[in-house]
Amino acid sequence: MPGLPRPILLGITLGCLVAASAVQAKEQLVLAVGGEPEQGFDPLLGWGQYGNPLFQSTLLARGRDLTPQPELATQWSLSDDRLTWTLTLRHDARFADGTPLTAADVAYTFNQAANAGGRADLSALDKAQAVDEYTVTLRLNAPHITFVDQLMTLGIVPHAGRDNGYSEQYGRQPLGSGPYQLVEWQEGEQLIVERNPYFYGPAPAFDRLVFRFMGEDATLSAAHAGQVDVASVPPALAANLPAHMQRVIMESVDNRGILFPMQPANGELAASGAPIGNDVTAELAIRQAINLAVDRNTLVEVALNGYGRPAFGPADGLPWSDSDERLTAPDLAQAEKILDAAGWQLSDDGLRYKDGLPARFRLTYPSSDTTRQLLAEASAAMVRPLGIEMQPTGRHWDQIQREALHQDAIMFGFGSHSPQEIYYLFHSQHAGNGFYNSGFYANTEVDNHLDAAQAAESIEQANREWRSAQWDGSTGYGVRGNSSWAWLVNLEHVYFADTCLNVGELGVAPHGHGWPITANLLEWRWTCE
Amino acid sequence: MRQPQPRLRAAISLVVTGLLVIGLIASQWLLGDTPQQMQFEARLAPPSVDHWLGTDALGRELWARTLAGLALSFWVGSLAAILSTLIALSLAALATLSSRLDALVSLLIDTLLSVPHLILLMLIAFALGGGTQAVIIAVAVTHWPSLARVLRAELWQLRQAPYVRMSRAFGKSRWFVLHGHLLPHLLPHCLVGALLLFPHAILHEAALTFLGFGLSPSQPAIGVLLADAMRYLSGGYWWLGVFPGLALLLMVLGFERLSRQLRRAL
Repeated sequence: MPGLPRPILLGITLGCLVAASAVQAKEQLVLAVGGEPEQGFDPLLGWGQYGNPLFQSTLLARGRDLTPQPELATQWSLSDDRLTWTLTLRHDARFADGTPLTAADVAYTFNQAANAGGRADLSALDKAQAVDEYTVTLRLNAPHITFVDQLMTLGIVPHAGRDNGYSEQYGRQPLGSGPYQLVEWQEGEQLIVERNPYFYGPAPAFDRLVFRFMGEDATLSAAHAGQVDVASVPPALAANLPAHMQRVIMESVDNRGILFPMQPANGELAASGAPIGNDVTAELAIRQAINLAVDRNTLVEVALNGYGRPAFGPADGLPWSDSDERLTAPDLAQAEKILDAAGWQLSDDGLRYKDGLPARFRLTYPSSDTTRQLLAEASAAMVRPLGIEMQPTGRHWDQIQREALHQDAIMFGFGSHSPQEIYYLFHSQHAGNGFYNSGFYANTEVDNHLDAAQAAESIEQANREWRSAQWDGSTGYGVRGNSSWAWLVNLEHVYFADTCLNVGELGVAPHGHGWPITANLLEWRWTCE
Repeated sequence: MRQPQPRLRAAISLVVTGLLVIGLIASQWLLGDTPQQMQFEARLAPPSVDHWLGTDALGRELWARTLAGLALSFWVGSLAAILSTLIALSLAALATLSSRLDALVSLLIDTLLSVPHLILLMLIAFALGGGTQAVIIAVAVTHWPSLARVLRAELWQLRQAPYVRMSRAFGKSRWFVLHGHLLPHLLPHCLVGALLLFPHAILHEAALTFLGFGLSPSQPAIGVLLADAMRYLSGGYWWLGVFPGLALLLMVLGFERLSRQLRRAL
């Protein structure tokens, strides 16, 4: 090449090298944003139920206003009898091995998920059928208003009859049509994913993502050491921001509260062998008094560092929650009056007794969770002046499942974009169904409202029924009714993110298990050179 | 200048440590529920005149929690050390009864010594479901082999002593020899052994609790305080870890020193 002098050539070469290394630095993002799913990345067993399955795509996406948006399906309709969904698929969707995604895969996914008994509840599905290559119908047993949520959360897997099709190992080697494909998963350590070259949507800005699975303190240390680009941080520990990071706050419907066992202990055991019932929390007066005694505003300050708001229900602010469901709390005088009237007498030892039974029970929380520990200890201190002793007890999750789940008050967290969760939490049919309704709550009136909501003709009618289940003027699962929980706080999710990372406009997060910050991953951009 | 006699030095150490232990136990009555009292307006306050060693995330005084933690560690360590010594003594005595039993006890000692302490501790504590009892049992069950080996060797040596042989020759039973001659001779060894085990026991209790397999996170144990401190360390709240850690270190060093001096004196 004639003409260009050596120094200029050298300069151009060096410039290219620098640019190349800068691009290299942007290609990979390291995230520590939560734990890994025990059952792997299999949608049929529950992966993706909190949204954003990452490896797979869903038929519909959930918009910021929670309404359905096109994703794999470009058109969809529900028949007049509300029993048959018909969906038309896009033609350009391919799995990460390059093979096309068709209606047969969708039908297979729904039929299999209905039989798998995983977290995806497809009991309402009668049969899914591929009408042609790109049209699928989903026939229901009965009208089911929340079925649309499964269209927005169930990731589509490849039909078992094809090459690389679904198998028992799928959770460890997932193949889907989502924006990323799995490269390596070292359980308990990290997950490495790379861009799916056949993804039909806009190309993600990052070729490779590394998810690190660490405890809270290790995550914080890694953030301060600059080893991660995005770190999920317990709100109580979010005060000290590392120099190179920004604080990203995500609104959420994620709540924390105390679930009470609702039945007296009578020696009954759950299918898991765990004892059911607690004589103290089975008393309505105790539950009402606790609800009145806790100072939720202080809890937001103490346990969440101000990143949150008081909670009075499982879905505060959502259309299926009653906005009147509020308490004037703390109101210790009223709480004492209720306890006195119910026969819980204050003794010299500062504890209340009824027929010789002390007002004392364990409040169990997962010991690895700072936020829940702070909430448990602070709320126990707030309730103690009443003469009720909640004993904060930290345990491992498997210990909680084995021993405490149905007999201790549990510091739980839930929060979903779908009212389906309300059904799971409070319908007697789901009593003892894993973590759902683990307090064995049962109220026929509430069951009727929940069933009526599922069978409703419109979203508006369903929302009215969901709200009536909370409080219908005479009963309900909420704080004015059975006080089945003492909801405490609604969280804001706090992250530390590299100052060079623009995470775009974040939506409202559900409960934190599904890496909610990655929901808008395709909008993320690296802003530094 | 003449160095004080070993016995005198041991006596001084014993008195000082005894006074500190009595003070520690008495402080629990004086503290009442101070370690649990929350002051929400004074959360994570650094050490000052108002808050001597600072406060934790719920505004609880760290000095009170450290004292409560030391007392808890003391009880757990003491019980575990006593239990461990009893196991060691029983097995050593058993080993003297026959050569087969001796081989069995030796095998048990070698097996336990070949497994890393902490792993065995974690396994036992986890299997027992955690909590104070589980920690005491786990520490006791894993700490006896070294002492058992010493006691067993001592017993074998004593069996050859003339007065023991005479006693046997006069037709005294094995049980009488063990009970009347051998065990009284072993008591000083047991005392020193238990004192040597004690610092190990409390260190392992703290380690076990720190790793989440021991005492409940809601108990003010030193291991719990240190584990909590880890979460806040990167935020600059150094006092949460430094003071409980120092207190534990001083306690361990104090007992280590006492047991060393007692060993020399006895």
